[in-house]
Amino acid sequence: MGKNFFEIKNVDFNVGGKTKVKNVSFSIENEGDVICLLGPSGIGKTTILRTIAGLEKIKKGSIKLNGKTISSEKNNVEPENRNVSLAFQDNSLFPHYTVEKNILLGSERNKEKHKKKLTLKDIVDLLDIFHILNKYPHEISAGEAQRASLARSLITQPDLLLLDEPLSNVDQSFKEEIQVRLKKILNQLKITTIIVTHDSYEAFYLGSKCGIILDQQLKQFDDPYKVYHFPNSVEVVNFLNRGILIPAKVTGKNTLENWDLGTIEGNFIKEYPKGSNVQLLLQPEDLEHDDRSNLKLEVVDRKFRGTNFIYTLKTPSNTLIPVFVHSHHIHQHEVDEKFGIKRPIHIDHIVCF
Amino acid sequence: MRINFWYISSFFISVFVLIPILTVFSSFFENTSNYFQVLKDTFLVEYILNSLILLFSVLILTFLIGTGSAYLVSFFEFPFSNFFKWALILSFAVPPYIYAYSLTAFFENYGTAFTILKSLFGEANYNQSIPKFDGLFGAILSISFSLYAYVYVLARASFLYQPQNLIDLGKNLGFTKFKTLYSIILPAARPAIVAGLSLVAMETLAEFGAVDFFSINTLTTGIYNSWIAFDDLAFANQLSFFLLLFIFALFVLENFSRKKAKYHMNSRGGFKQKQKIKLSGSKSLMAFTFCFLVFFLSFLFPLIQMVYWTIKFPENLIDLQITKLLINTLYLVVLSSLFLIIFALISNYGNRVNKDKTLNILSTLSISGYAIPGVILAVAFITFIAWFDESVIKTYGFLSIKKVFIGSILGLVIVYFIRFYSLAFNGIKSGYEKINISVDESSYLLGYSKRKTFMNIHIPFLRNSLLFVFILISLEIIRELPITLILRPFNFETFATTAYISASEDLLEAAAVPSLFLILIATSFIIVTSKYILRDNHG
Repeated sequence: MGKNFFEIKNVDFNVGGKTKVKNVSFSIENEGDVICLLGPSGIGKTTILRTIAGLEKIKKGSIKLNGKTISSEKNNVEPENRNVSLAFQDNSLFPHYTVEKNILLGSERNKEKHKKKLTLKDIVDLLDIFHILNKYPHEISAGEAQRASLARSLITQPDLLLLDEPLSNVDQSFKEEIQVRLKKILNQLKITTIIVTHDSYEAFYLGSKCGIILDQQLKQFDDPYKVYHFPNSVEVVNFLNRGILIPAKVTGKNTLENWDLGTIEGNFIKEYPKGSNVQLLLQPEDLEHDDRSNLKLEVVDRKFRGTNFIYTLKTPSNTLIPVFVHSHHIHQHEVDEKFGIKRPIHIDHIVCF
Repeated sequence: MRINFWYISSFFISVFVLIPILTVFSSFFENTSNYFQVLKDTFLVEYILNSLILLFSVLILTFLIGTGSAYLVSFFEFPFSNFFKWALILSFAVPPYIYAYSLTAFFENYGTAFTILKSLFGEANYNQSIPKFDGLFGAILSISFSLYAYVYVLARASFLYQPQNLIDLGKNLGFTKFKTLYSIILPAARPAIVAGLSLVAMETLAEFGAVDFFSINTLTTGIYNSWIAFDDLAFANQLSFFLLLFIFALFVLENFSRKKAKYHMNSRGGFKQKQKIKLSGSKSLMAFTFCFLVFFLSFLFPLIQMVYWTIKFPENLIDLQITKLLINTLYLVVLSSLFLIIFALISNYGNRVNKDKTLNILSTLSISGYAIPGVILAVAFITFIAWFDESVIKTYGFLSIKKVFIGSILGLVIVYFIRFYSLAFNGIKSGYEKINISVDESSYLLGYSKRKTFMNIHIPFLRNSLLFVFILISLEIIRELPITLILRPFNFETFATTAYISASEDLLEAAAVPSLFLILIATSFIIVTSKYILRDNHG
């Protein structure tokens, strides 16, 4: 832990005398790494960013940047002396300056750095905001304001960049493109970044690590792949909306038995003694459609999701199970029809609680 | 909490403003001369009764005129409705005492009305048939026509921000225009109207020039008389205490309703330009007539009267040292505005960055200066200086400071400062409320210190608010009478004091020239700021 570029140790994050997130510890090992914090609205993600930026103080634990303590109970470096930049979720552009002037105010901070300079042109091209440079904040859309705010933060080339829901107001059609460009520039300039978002796909794409904040705690902090496939708690499963938990009994080293679905095989990510009763995480992509199968369940709902359909199937014990089917799949089913599930059921990573 | 420059500055500014208010309260327990007993046995009840009659009559009249005209120009289109929209605020340029001079000048025996009738119908005894608007009735009319614009401005702003669908809802429910007015529009604008009426109430209770001119005994003139005629400062302060209690009750009400008004204004989501109803025929004529009458009576009438007299008695124009009066007036305006704006800015920023309860309470109390009549403030200031001189300065053997503060520009500016501090503080505060706190935070995160944020981010942003506050204070100082009368240096006159002195010597014609100049200067100031006053520029 000693060599980490950024480190949070046992910090309680408070706002207005109220603790929002308790006893948080995580670190960013290398300069230039990008991590994402995920969690539902109002959980305290923004409070974490504001505290790291120095806008809120802490009473417990410590925050270190580049080996220097910037927040602790006794020591609080003022926001203006941290070289930490925060792009707010809402429009925090200076209303009386044009977008260009707003961005250039950010570049003033960057004067003395020896790093490769990011010019106004670079940033304007990156975020595609040339057309709004001479406009005032009230003359542009929320999405444009968010991009301008992001530009102002990026141009400072801070030691640590904090982005609070940076693309929440950006049009969906444009969002993915900006995500790609943002990732590229953060990598190129090696800007260490913490991104707060409630969009798990954005977090999985941009972050080399993801933190899940739930119930006033940092529940999981890991690689996006592991967070997605190996959620460490029921709460994370529910938050990521990854599937459902069904009762099962461990019957062997690689097998379980469920009353409705029969035998399920695969690799356990954690060992359980034979005969244990567990809750098995069943995700929509775990089951395959096969009308020749003798395991048939009733369709109670079907949602069209573009590339796929999500069927909701009812088991004999009235459990509702989601199943993905590609939308080009020839044989689709209507509600009340029977839907065949391929047997034996095989799940790559068996996650149980 | 960290003590910093901004904290200390805000703290001391608030305490400084609070001193005269505390002086009034503390002197309540002091001994007074026999004047108190005399007054208690004779006129005290009359003082209170007159104050109350004046107050309630003015409130009713300003409500009817202010809300009525605001309703017409906000919801209907009729000839000149766009002109009336801003023309109706010009009455701010005519202080009640000048209105009182005009009223008297027009209706008095052998006055302007008499001259008109004589030139139209020949020599006759018209004096008996010309009504006399003097005494309490004259004071009520003068104050109402001068102050209704407070109600007009606030009611109109509230009407402007009422969502169109509220009115559409009325139509949908089959309401008549009148029912829509009293069951939807007026209740929704209630906080704004009450806020406007509270301002009118405070100004009415504080009014000195007009009531003094009509020789009405009110609490305010009582205070002035007990100090001037009987040299009884303690009793003047005790009367002030009664008036203060009165005003504080109104102040609480005003503050309460302002909070609601703020809530109302924040719900901007549904704002949509009103679809004005185009009036035609007799309805259009009635709307036009109402607005024209209000405009004529409140502004054109006193203006024409003053112009008429200035032309009729040109020697007064020649006798008057206009340049000197102009320089004196502007000198006071610029000096006081500068101090007020600088200190109100510092105090606002101090409150913003420190978010401290003590500071917050102190600044809330300190803005009560506006609710205290100028007469009381001036008397309280003199009391405080006299006490400080006697018990501190002389005790330690220093030279008396009375001359430095009493009858000096410095003293005058200090009391203006206390009286109008709330205007400056609230004006800048409302500008600050438009700056999201994340703007400050962004500035810190860009490496700006608090001082640099204040200078480079806030002040440029507040430019328009500062201009507005400057004009507002200027307008008040140009019209201000009692403080200037009591505290001005010997031989130092303004347009207001010159007009008052001439009028009190029964030389109304001579009062016309300074009054006319006062109206013209104030009018030009109002025209400059009309878009801010009318709040038409909200983006």
